[in-house]
Amino acid sequence: MRTYLFVAVVCLLTGAAQAASTEADYKTALAAAEAADQDAGALKNQWIPTEQALAAAKKAAAAGDFDTAVAQAKEAEALAKASIAQAKEQQSAWRAGVIR
Amino acid sequence: MRISRASVVVTIAIAALVVAGARPAAAADSIDPDADFKAFRDYYTKRFPNVPLNDFVNGPYSMDAELRKQWEAIDDFPPYDFAVDRGKEMFATPFKNGKSYGDCFPDKGIGIRQNYPYFDLKSGEVITLELALNRCREANGEEPYSYVKDEMASLTAYMAFTSRGKPFDIKIPNDPRALAAYQNGEEYFYARRGQLNFSCASCHVQNPGNHIRTEVLAPALGIVAAMPIYRSEWNGMGTMSRRLVTCNSQVRGVPLKPQDELYRDVEYYLSYMSNGLPISGPGARP
Amino acid sequence: MRGAIAQGSALFVAAVLAAVLFANAPASAQALPGQALAFDRSKGNCLTCHDIKGGDSPGNLGPPLSDMKARFPDRKELAAIVFDETKRNPQTVMPPFGRNLILTDGEIEAIVDFLYTR
Repeated sequence: MRTYLFVAVVCLLTGAAQAASTEADYKTALAAAEAADQDAGALKNQWIPTEQALAAAKKAAAAGDFDTAVAQAKEAEALAKASIAQAKEQQSAWRAGVIR
Repeated sequence: MRISRASVVVTIAIAALVVAGARPAAAADSIDPDADFKAFRDYYTKRFPNVPLNDFVNGPYSMDAELRKQWEAIDDFPPYDFAVDRGKEMFATPFKNGKSYGDCFPDKGIGIRQNYPYFDLKSGEVITLELALNRCREANGEEPYSYVKDEMASLTAYMAFTSRGKPFDIKIPNDPRALAAYQNGEEYFYARRGQLNFSCASCHVQNPGNHIRTEVLAPALGIVAAMPIYRSEWNGMGTMSRRLVTCNSQVRGVPLKPQDELYRDVEYYLSYMSNGLPISGPGARP
Repeated sequence: MRGAIAQGSALFVAAVLAAVLFANAPASAQALPGQALAFDRSKGNCLTCHDIKGGDSPGNLGPPLSDMKARFPDRKELAAIVFDETKRNPQTVMPPFGRNLILTDGEIEAIVDFLYTR
């Protein structure tokens, strides 16, 4: 009984890292990434690596590798958010570099 | 309560100051293309006192003597010659409806390149030469050309060639929409973009004459005068649209659609900054 | 019977632990060495702007990277420059390799290690 408990605890501790991502996880992550990328597009400031990560996520999902698909989708979301932050900051920051 | 004469005078004086200092609400007030033009010109002539003003239109060759020698060596057989010849032929070939390019432009399209882009007050937008050419085609029942391929490059190469040496004569009408387009172009030029966080200014204002790997950077002053260019690196011609798209992707930014409003605005801004400088296109670049 | 189950469980635990350890290996164990990262155009791409011993056809938008141990005795400062030089110099043309997710923290550390050999 103690052995089983031990195994269960170990599984719980490692479970977060080891539980396989599901298709549902992927769809959630992809939706968030695509929404952010769309916002970046509205600001006319999408990044190429964002598009590459989105493509990689979709490709991995199509192959059934949802761990990779989720990781790539999350990377895409992070990149898209960074591109949005850049565009928003530059809306005023651009003036600092103007030749006067 | 009696109000003293002194306090009345002071009150009127303060009121007058407030009125005098008040700025009209219009945003156009803060846009001053002429002041920008002068500052832009002074920046480059001060930074490069040994470069004759008109030589800036030769881009990296005005910055680097070695590169210039290589350029002069190929001048007998310029690589864009085939594009000019093709453009001339296209100009001479009527559309299916019998009209031709000359019918869409002043002076039959000859010797007018230096007037582009211009701001069209009727449609409220910047019209570039490339846009005008495709609108000409569509108005005459023809399919538009790709903005990044050889047909457009040939047409603009020929038109630039007929304007060689003529000074840029870009106008900004006193209209808030034109001033806004000018400023949008200026903002596009100076704003950082792409994962690599470069603005156009990063290279062409902060680092003209310096080199990234082996590529010498051109000054922004006069940078559009040589368009379209034959680029050895591309083994072919590059239109204005192609150059802007490529610059975006080089900093890992997703390019806009060719002739996007922002691309036209930045071309407008850069062309205005080059007023008075001679058309040097079509050009050859490494 | 109990002994066999205990042995099987222990093996299972060992396998799980091993998998966890390998999956969470530090980035540097799998990343390219610092010089390769620095010279790779899709990674640091440092030669585009900097002259670095061992590299060819460098650009000159940034200063040559030499004497780095003497010039940047504080490792954190050098890492911060690579991460986001705009913090020190808002007008810099150096890409913010960390902030814009161009390089991972592990890759930046590896490049700093390499720069300290120049």
